Amino acid sequence: MTTTTARNVGVDIQESEQNRAVVEAIEETNPACIVQHMPGLVRITCPKRLVITRDSVEQKLGREWETHEFQMAIVSYFGHIKDWDDDEIVIAWDH
Amino acid sequence: MTIANKASRAPKKLSMKQRYQVLTRDLDWEPTYVDPKDVFPHTEFEGITIHDWSKWEDPFRLTVDAYCKYQAEKDKRLYAVLDGFAQSQGHLTLTDASYLNAMKLFLQGVTPLEYQAHRNFAYLARHLNGPGPRFASLCQSIDELRHTQTEIHTLSNDNKYYSGFHNFQQMHDRVWYLSVPKSFFGDALASGPFEFLIAIGFSFEYLLTNLLFVPFMSGASFNGDLPTMTFGFSAQSDESRHMTLGLEAIKFLLEQDEANVPTVQAWIDKWFWRGYRVTALIAQMLDYMLPRKVMSWKEAFELYFEEQMLKGLFADLAFYGITPPRHVEDAIAEKEILSHQVYWTLYQFSHAAAFTTSVPTAEHEKWLAETYPETFDKLYKELWDKERENIAGGGRHFVRGLPQLCQVCQIPMLFTEPGDPTTICQRESEFKGEKFQTCSNGCQWIFEREPEKYVQAWLPVHQIYQGSCGGPTVPDVLAWYGVQEGDSGEHRGSLDDRRWQEWHADSVKEGN
Amino acid sequence: MPVKSIGTYDFPSRSRQELYGDDQLVHVWFQGNPWFCAAACYRAPKAMRWGDFWSQLVVPWAEEDPDFDPGARYAWSLHGQPLSPGDDETLEALGVVHKDVIGMRVEAG
Repeated sequence: MTTTTARNVGVDIQESEQNRAVVEAIEETNPACIVQHMPGLVRITCPKRLVITRDSVEQKLGREWETHEFQMAIVSYFGHIKDWDDDEIVIAWDH
Repeated sequence: MTIANKASRAPKKLSMKQRYQVLTRDLDWEPTYVDPKDVFPHTEFEGITIHDWSKWEDPFRLTVDAYCKYQAEKDKRLYAVLDGFAQSQGHLTLTDASYLNAMKLFLQGVTPLEYQAHRNFAYLARHLNGPGPRFASLCQSIDELRHTQTEIHTLSNDNKYYSGFHNFQQMHDRVWYLSVPKSFFGDALASGPFEFLIAIGFSFEYLLTNLLFVPFMSGASFNGDLPTMTFGFSAQSDESRHMTLGLEAIKFLLEQDEANVPTVQAWIDKWFWRGYRVTALIAQMLDYMLPRKVMSWKEAFELYFEEQMLKGLFADLAFYGITPPRHVEDAIAEKEILSHQVYWTLYQFSHAAAFTTSVPTAEHEKWLAETYPETFDKLYKELWDKERENIAGGGRHFVRGLPQLCQVCQIPMLFTEPGDPTTICQRESEFKGEKFQTCSNGCQWIFEREPEKYVQAWLPVHQIYQGSCGGPTVPDVLAWYGVQEGDSGEHRGSLDDRRWQEWHADSVKEGN
Repeated sequence: MPVKSIGTYDFPSRSRQELYGDDQLVHVWFQGNPWFCAAACYRAPKAMRWGDFWSQLVVPWAEEDPDFDPGARYAWSLHGQPLSPGDDETLEALGVVHKDVIGMRVEAG
């Protein structure tokens, strides 16, 4: 790609008590991200790439968390889910 | 609080990747005594070439156990909210009874599409050659059935108190404005499996889903409708998996063979415009039907479509030689006029609908003028001013007659010429000696690409005139639609409005 | 471009003229009048005289606009050409065919 500005990717998460820890973990893992609160949901955008790690969410939640659980939180996203395994979820554009 | 480190945990039997591999690849086999073409007879006629089905990736790596576990949890959470709302008379805490018009439109127009999606994904779960996409389609098929059920179940509570919810399925099949979403989906159902994947999986679920569903759900949240917000987010959490299926589908087709690229591009061109025309109903819902506004159509379009899709997704797809959809510039140019034109239309035809409408209040008009500084005061305010005088003189603008419909999107021919918001856009094509009109360059292009498909359109106005809809008069047709007293017309003074006022007057008295 | 299909794909139009017997569908597009969001669609006999078409179909629809003046002078158009209909001429004689769009505009001055 020849674009010079980094394109954003993002994820919308349902606003809830449980998901607060997930949002905090994402903020910590992705220092460049921007968090916006909209009615009922939290929108997180980040240039190029957004990573959600099991470790960071477990630290915030104080319990075990499997990455499949992220399905309970996610409302929508933009970008491409590059990877989703036991340890992390990566959203990025391919090209 | 300390957390046991990974090494001390009991070892997992298999990793996500391994489990997914076992489910989708190891359980699959190559047929030997039957020709694979006979097992999968529908994946060649569309002219798509697939060399290696094993290259299909599903990043969610979902397996049966995880699917059941999380779907059950999602339903549990939803039903807890439904019970709480019903037990606490939550419907009385909505912003206004008129808010429910958005939900009537949703139940009549969108829920039946979920069921149709369920059917067609079940077909894909049988007919795609690769085990990965077959399993993803199976999950989506079950999801769509769940959405149908949870939506009906959630909105059934409103049906106890309000009009317009009682007969949504029959209405979906018969009522004029509902032929817009119905025929859109019918067009996709009548396509081959790959076109359906691009039509619904990609264009609808990925390209336009945020414009379709997020406004409904945020609108629900902002207007006190907790159950709808919850079913919406519950459905949307599946939707992100569906978006992935759509995006995987398009990348897979583009990567498998370069000859697929022009076919896929033509499908994107067609299905962007087909889907975009359906979102016209969402545009007016956002700007006119919600008593408390979440965001304007223009803002939603800029954020969810221009920013995320044109600047994000299409920059990515350019790698394969894919360009932004044909006629996208017409959609962008319409963003400041679309909702006003569509609501003005629904307003004057709501005597024949299963929702109610009203003249915007002064406060609402102020918001419209501020949100649409280039267009509202200049083009639409005078219409509402004239209608206020009309009402003061004992009138109420309901059209006496039937409108000309677009042969493709089936919306009344209300849209205007690109660059000229005061002249209605009329396009005409001829096929086998018969004239067919379309509302836009986009719909005309779609018609002329496959005229033999669109000449079969069941256009509500033409059918009424053929005598297929219960009789020649408006009451005949409304009876055939299953519309009852209170479902349609002006909102102020309607059955719902009167009841709403009574219920709230009571609460004031009791509060004293 | 023909539809790509698993079998023969040849179906008749669901709005073809023969389904309306001696009648046809006719659209009237009131140009320059945003009160009506879209053109109207009528079912009218091919042999209907223009005067009847005007008084029985067009006027009852158009007078829903409080500013409509049936006595005003109107400029008519068909197939992109001006049309000067006489009250006794039939739609068929005027060259109106099934699903045609007749333009109608208040003449200036």
